[in-house]
Amino acid sequence: MPAIETDGLTKRFGDFTAVDALNLTVEDGEVFGFLGPNGAGKSTTINMLLGFLQPTDGTATVLGHDAARESRAVRQRTGLLPEGFELYENLTGREHVVSAIETKDADDDPDHLIERVGLAPEAARRRAGGYSKGMTQRLTLAVALVDDPDLLILDEPSSGLDPKGAKLLREIVREEADRGATVFFSSHILGQVEQVCDRVGIMNHGEIVAVDTIDALRDQMGAESTVRADVAGSPDTDAVAALDGVRSVTVGDGHVEVACTQPAAKMPALRALDDAATVTDIDVENADLETLFDRYTGDDVGRDEPTDDGGQAPEAAAATGGGDA
Amino acid sequence: MSLLTVARDDFTNARRSYAVLGVVGVLTAIVGLIFVSEISVYDDPFRTLFDVSFFLFLVFPIVLAPLTYLAIAGDRDGGAIKYAMGLPNSRAEYVFGKLASRLGVTLAAVVLAVGVGFVVALATFTNAPDVVMFAKFALVSLLFAFAFVGIYVGVSAMTSSRSRAMLGVFGAYFVLVPFWFGFLPVISLTELLGTAADLLGTELSQNTIQFVQALSPATAYLYSTEFVYQSVLPSSTYQGMTATFTDVPNEIYREFWFNAVVMLAWGVGSMLVGYVSFTRSELG
Repeated sequence: MPAIETDGLTKRFGDFTAVDALNLTVEDGEVFGFLGPNGAGKSTTINMLLGFLQPTDGTATVLGHDAARESRAVRQRTGLLPEGFELYENLTGREHVVSAIETKDADDDPDHLIERVGLAPEAARRRAGGYSKGMTQRLTLAVALVDDPDLLILDEPSSGLDPKGAKLLREIVREEADRGATVFFSSHILGQVEQVCDRVGIMNHGEIVAVDTIDALRDQMGAESTVRADVAGSPDTDAVAALDGVRSVTVGDGHVEVACTQPAAKMPALRALDDAATVTDIDVENADLETLFDRYTGDDVGRDEPTDDGGQAPEAAAATGGGDA
Repeated sequence: MSLLTVARDDFTNARRSYAVLGVVGVLTAIVGLIFVSEISVYDDPFRTLFDVSFFLFLVFPIVLAPLTYLAIAGDRDGGAIKYAMGLPNSRAEYVFGKLASRLGVTLAAVVLAVGVGFVVALATFTNAPDVVMFAKFALVSLLFAFAFVGIYVGVSAMTSSRSRAMLGVFGAYFVLVPFWFGFLPVISLTELLGTAADLLGTELSQNTIQFVQALSPATAYLYSTEFVYQSVLPSSTYQGMTATFTDVPNEIYREFWFNAVVMLAWGVGSMLVGYVSFTRSELG
């Protein structure tokens, strides 16, 4: 049984279609990255999975329960870190965790959960109204972890977290996945999900435009990286351009850009460039996945339908079967 | 039981925000001050209760507004509802947990205020206060409070933003208290009904008008206080007060049970409407 399965899930607000006939399957036990820019429909989808919003059309089944009609059963076995929420400002952090334990009829130790998310015990005894965004995220993660949920839904969990907090979050996601939980990790930043997710789905303008493993998406897009070098003068770069895996070389005023289609081509390209010119500084942009992400979600793609030449995103959607019902 | 958890969290959150302290304090201070200011005016504490009831009729619904209007709309406006409803609470548990918390504070405020009035009267009035009379007064005031807390929390459950909830609550106050009772000479329900009757070429009897007036929870409260003074009316000392309660038609709308039902119905009915609206509402 999949943890999440949606069938033609659609949400319209008046004329605006926030989620358009979404067909998505998240397998039991996987860590699924749910990617897309702000306004793509990610939170609307999550709100339908939890019964906060009623679908205009289609269905969502979460942990075997209909999300619209049996949302309480869904929430009993789900841990949620929502987006755009507030805590009760005059309750302490610890009181929130205690209430979650009571409501779920669980037997967790609140102090253990608070420690696990890296919140200091004295901070947990202060009122949540004075918390920073990062502390709020940590506390809510503790609430989400109550009762070892079968499904963790994390909506933009890294927002407000410092690098240490983001690392702790990734560790917790891995621990939960090892325990057997399914993790549904929504983010608009690819870097946050690529390290922990088994698969990702990319959403844009209410539609899933790609669902695959990160490696497969990378291959599929033939993603490339760019080596930028500051050089003295205008060198002859023919030797660099002739290397295997180098797609193009652009020479500008005092700098050179080498576009590589294979990671292994970068060092030979640098050596060849070093032979040809005095290199004063280099910069490698590992923009491969970001580029990929941008190509799926860029504003130049998809928004101004009909696309004149059937741009990359619709093609990819057809290839992964994510687009229409 | 998650209704109790919702109620406890809501109460704790409200208590620490001084909203509770404010409402309980204001109500207690008002009732206490009315008693203090009438120490040398009247010998009998029940006469002061009569003044208190008029004051509560007009002002208590206003005092209750800040305590109640954000109960649910505030959570929806700020986003705390995603924390509360992300937990396995049903919408009924959430709404009625909120109601239980706000109602609990209100009932405590009424009991405390009447208690303070009793103590002031006991210490300073010529004639000692009657426990039964004060208890009855607390009871009818509790019914009145129940009606308005139900209406306001119901309005809060129907709205998704602070501003709309505030508008709804003050709208409800204006319609149910001054408009319905006819406190304002120009804009009132009875004026409107009279005009409508004129247009239809008929006339409303005084009895019909009073019956309609008695259907507001505020008017029902005023009428119901007759129940408090049964043992002392008619009184030759307080003729004005006596006239208020004895010079009335012997009709169903002057029966205590009828007034109590009106107040209960407003509270229960509004909560149910609010709850049904909330179960259909979209969160997020």
